[in-house]
Amino acid sequence: MVPRRLLVTILAAMTAAPALAATPNADVILRQAFANYRSSSSQSTVAMTVHRPDWERRLQMKGWTRGDNDALVRFIAPAKDAGNATLKVGGDTWVYNPKLNQVIKLPGSMMSQSWMGSDFSYNDLSKSEDIITDYTHRLVATAQVSGHAVWTVEATPKPGAPVVWGKVALEVRDDYVLMGETFFDQDMKPARRMTADRVGILAGRPYPVSMTMHPLDQPSQWTRIETSDAKFDVALPAYLFTLSNLQNPRS
Amino acid sequence: MLVALAWRNLWRRPQRTILSLISIAIVSGLLVFVLSFQDGVYSTMKETTLRIFDGYAQLQPTGYADDPRLELAIGHPDELVRAAEGVDGVTTAAARVNGFAILANGSRSYAAAVVGVDPASEAKISTIASRMSGGRYLRADDTNKAILGDILAKNLGVKVGGKLTMLGSARDGSVAADVLTVAGVYHSGIPDLDRSILEMPLARAQDTFGMEGAANTIVLGGPSLAAVNRALPALDAIGRRSGVAVRDWQAMEPALRDAIDLKYATSMLFYASLVVVVAFIILNTLLMSVLERTREFGMLLALGMRSGQIGAMVWIELLGLALLGSAIGVAIGAAVTLWLQNQGIVMPIDPKLLAQFGVPSRLYPALTAFSALAGPAALLLTIVVGGLVPYLRVARLTPAIAMRAS
Repeated sequence: MVPRRLLVTILAAMTAAPALAATPNADVILRQAFANYRSSSSQSTVAMTVHRPDWERRLQMKGWTRGDNDALVRFIAPAKDAGNATLKVGGDTWVYNPKLNQVIKLPGSMMSQSWMGSDFSYNDLSKSEDIITDYTHRLVATAQVSGHAVWTVEATPKPGAPVVWGKVALEVRDDYVLMGETFFDQDMKPARRMTADRVGILAGRPYPVSMTMHPLDQPSQWTRIETSDAKFDVALPAYLFTLSNLQNPRS
Repeated sequence: MLVALAWRNLWRRPQRTILSLISIAIVSGLLVFVLSFQDGVYSTMKETTLRIFDGYAQLQPTGYADDPRLELAIGHPDELVRAAEGVDGVTTAAARVNGFAILANGSRSYAAAVVGVDPASEAKISTIASRMSGGRYLRADDTNKAILGDILAKNLGVKVGGKLTMLGSARDGSVAADVLTVAGVYHSGIPDLDRSILEMPLARAQDTFGMEGAANTIVLGGPSLAAVNRALPALDAIGRRSGVAVRDWQAMEPALRDAIDLKYATSMLFYASLVVVVAFIILNTLLMSVLERTREFGMLLALGMRSGQIGAMVWIELLGLALLGSAIGVAIGAAVTLWLQNQGIVMPIDPKLLAQFGVPSRLYPALTAFSALAGPAALLLTIVVGGLVPYLRVARLTPAIAMRAS
């Protein structure tokens, strides 16, 4: 009797242990997911497809990030858009337009406007980390999807936090790949949803290489971001995130 | 015969009759004037407000009102402009492109609505052209010029002759970028406009925002708001053929409409109480005269007149009084109103305060069939219906009792 009971206990422990160990708290899940997405620095090549009922545009861009707050995106194709760039340092955002050959600081009232005609706003570019700092997190569901556990974390804004959304629901796979993100407006109605269409391996880590943003009030339009190449934790020169580099890129 | 009797009865007590007539006349006359004045002030308010920027009505792509996006556009605005100008009551139609962009001057940048306008027709619709506080309005031969509100200009630190950089999204999602020279600065007196709107030539805006000749709205002007309102069904028919919706002033300025509706509702309460009070005074007078004449009515009954006839006679007395009184009231009220309509009434209020509400300091009442007749008609109706009380009282009389009444 005893060995059998022991066996059952061991078996139970073996199956339960990984599950227990793999369910960290909601805060950790989001931090890990963002760390996986950006690392301490990153450099990537991304294609953005903007789909509208009567047209579709495909833009190529290069992106660099440093820490949680700094980012530079430079468009390289098509010719019409090449050269346009957006720089975010701390809480400020600047855009560069080659036709004007001028750097313009984005006023706060423009932050919710569409970024380069896509379904992303400038806020998405600059405020993505707000999810970690300005929201409280709660694990609301765990599901099994094709051999992986997928955690759903609900992020609710802290009182008085300067946020756009009523709440945000994030789905994170157990290897910390962000699988989906639903943005709820102040009336708690889902306003838009981003989903990972494809998870691949980039620079040795699992990564959502194709993600699509759907504004839920405009069913016939979407924007897809496909990351074709990325390096993480690379040493980036400090001049990269400066206004002079925004206007006159070195390299 | 009843009418003759009633008429004679009225003048048996001339003092009482004249006093009643005067009170009816004063109230009717007063109602004619206040209603006309109110109508006049409101239509001035509406027209002044709408003439600043909105126009008396607009043609817009279906769905634009709820979601004003640059992509929602009218493909061939010229045809619609011509069709709209052909409608009776519309004198000018002006196509506009409504973009949104960051305006920058050096390190200063602000978001603003960028409106592409046709200077010649725009000047006939929007009073911004006549409210330039510096420089001049756009001209037909301008290419890279712009005008903007004084608050926006101050925020950007830009003066007439200065250059502005504009960066926004074009219709196809690409970047809309341009450099414009400031030709003038306007002061509309509406802070929301003065802080947020830049106007540039239509063709250049169409080019910059990738509109390919399309426009977002067509703004309509006419001799008066009423004339354009009458043209709405015809405009609607034109719009429906090209997938374009007509937006009237109430849809464009719902706050103004609600404010006016509320003001109407509260003043109607006041007018109604005025009518009721006067009606009761008149009825009271008549009831007294009926009681005084009970013995006389008894005599008439004894002579063979039916009680219903006597009741009708009393009621006709009342009707005659009310008709005559309100006729005098309407005549005097209308005459005074018409005179003031020519002279205008200068309001003893700070013109700057009035300007905030889109009201000029000299106001003109507007005499219409409604304002001239609605008040007196309500008074007449109340008195005539109320007159049933003395009528019923008289109709119940029997000769024996009535003749013995003290």
